[in-house]
Amino acid sequence: MNPAIVGVGTSGFGRFPTERIESLAWTAVVEALDDAGLTPSDIDAAYVGSVFGPPGIANRVLAGVGLAGIPVYRIEAACASGTVALHEAQRAVRTGVHRRVLAVGVEQLSVVFDGPIVPEPTDPEGRAGLALPALYALQANRYLDAHGLDASVLAHIAVKNKFAGSLNPRAHLGGTPPSFEQVLASRPIAGPLTLLQCCPMTDGAAAVVVGADTDPGAVPFLASSFVSGPMWDAAGDEPWSMRTVAAAAANVWEQSGRGPDDVNVAEMHDAFTIGEILTTEALGLAAPGTAGDLAGRGETALGGRLPINPSGGLLSRGHPLGATGLAQAAELVWQLRGAAGPRQVEGARVALLETMGGGAAGVDGNACVVALLGAPS
Amino acid sequence: MSSVTVEPADPRPVVVDCRVHGSRCRSCGRPDAWVRERCAACLGPCEPEAFGPSGIVWSSADVHLPIGHRLPPFTLAQVDLLDGPRVLARLEPTGELAPGTPVQIVGSDDGDVVVGP
Repeated sequence: MNPAIVGVGTSGFGRFPTERIESLAWTAVVEALDDAGLTPSDIDAAYVGSVFGPPGIANRVLAGVGLAGIPVYRIEAACASGTVALHEAQRAVRTGVHRRVLAVGVEQLSVVFDGPIVPEPTDPEGRAGLALPALYALQANRYLDAHGLDASVLAHIAVKNKFAGSLNPRAHLGGTPPSFEQVLASRPIAGPLTLLQCCPMTDGAAAVVVGADTDPGAVPFLASSFVSGPMWDAAGDEPWSMRTVAAAAANVWEQSGRGPDDVNVAEMHDAFTIGEILTTEALGLAAPGTAGDLAGRGETALGGRLPINPSGGLLSRGHPLGATGLAQAAELVWQLRGAAGPRQVEGARVALLETMGGGAAGVDGNACVVALLGAPS
Repeated sequence: MSSVTVEPADPRPVVVDCRVHGSRCRSCGRPDAWVRERCAACLGPCEPEAFGPSGIVWSSADVHLPIGHRLPPFTLAQVDLLDGPRVLARLEPTGELAPGTPVQIVGSDDGDVVVGP
């Protein structure tokens, strides 16, 4: 059976420390089921992505929306947890294990951290102080040096995505988007990354129902690939994450018989500005050293040749880790249906989804999922 | 009944006399920043080997956030030790160095590997 997305939903994204974490997910699941025109009894299994959610959260979420008594799997794959849940859901349908599967992501970071994510003390690099902004700053400085670029090129990504986010009523950081100068003048965080080049700490949830491509309004999976990173050490010279993203992308091109030129719109991992640049190039959507400049010229902005992160991305919509990949999927489904309102990419027929999860020392990313979605027939 | 707070085992590389005490695989030759009996890549047998003090900066970045006991600003660097592993180190004095800059391990500070020009 060819898998497809038949319903999507999300909570709002922001800081909701006084809400129950379950309620964030319930909002998303109910919207996704309503969107699919299904009831809980139509769902055969559920995959739930969460990184810092408490033990038992998957079952507590599902039991509150009539989904007790089915197989439930919790997935932790860092920032890609929700996307891995989606990949596994489509795989379960593709292989005939289940007919309809729910993928849910939920996170409530505001009750876990009072600032940025604290590096994991059992990880060698975490114990040595490698917070996530620093991990990406190291890649940024390596990338800028390799290509002889000025650090200001990074700011184009923030300007582009925060403008798109200003059009998204669900975004954590909506409102008036900052100028190029304001992005560069914001508080330094790590290396060349300033505050407005870093995603916020976001609470929220997202849900996707996966069914068959013959279901009404189905948005078909053209391909989906999930890989974990190879060893990342002195034997390699590319910035962290690039080999892993490239490997997942290669699988997707092979599965689908399509290539980078076929993509009309993309949602990808821009937790930090350099992340979108590295990812765009690793996916083959831009030549090495050019992704920042492409954003500055508007080619990857709304209205451009290939809009990237029309939702506002992690930089603006926000980054509720386990929910992020499914929020990305929801945006692409709205785009492919022509239902994205002021953010609509005209004529979008093929959409690319990418999420990278990382943080484990010595590997080139804990998990990366790249998927291609097609327009409903 | 209550939760306990136990400091987890320190996973950082061990520095003795300005060298990282790690190991190398006798089968595939892969260097590792930790003493291992079996290679992380091929499971071949490893033997202890000390790396450094010389290395080159793969990348470095100033950090403007407090991280644990480290007060900003401080500088982190990924350093490729000569014929050895890549290690995460703190760069002293604070300040980014370009990729390719030679550095030396100068010691450790509360468990962090410390390198300098």
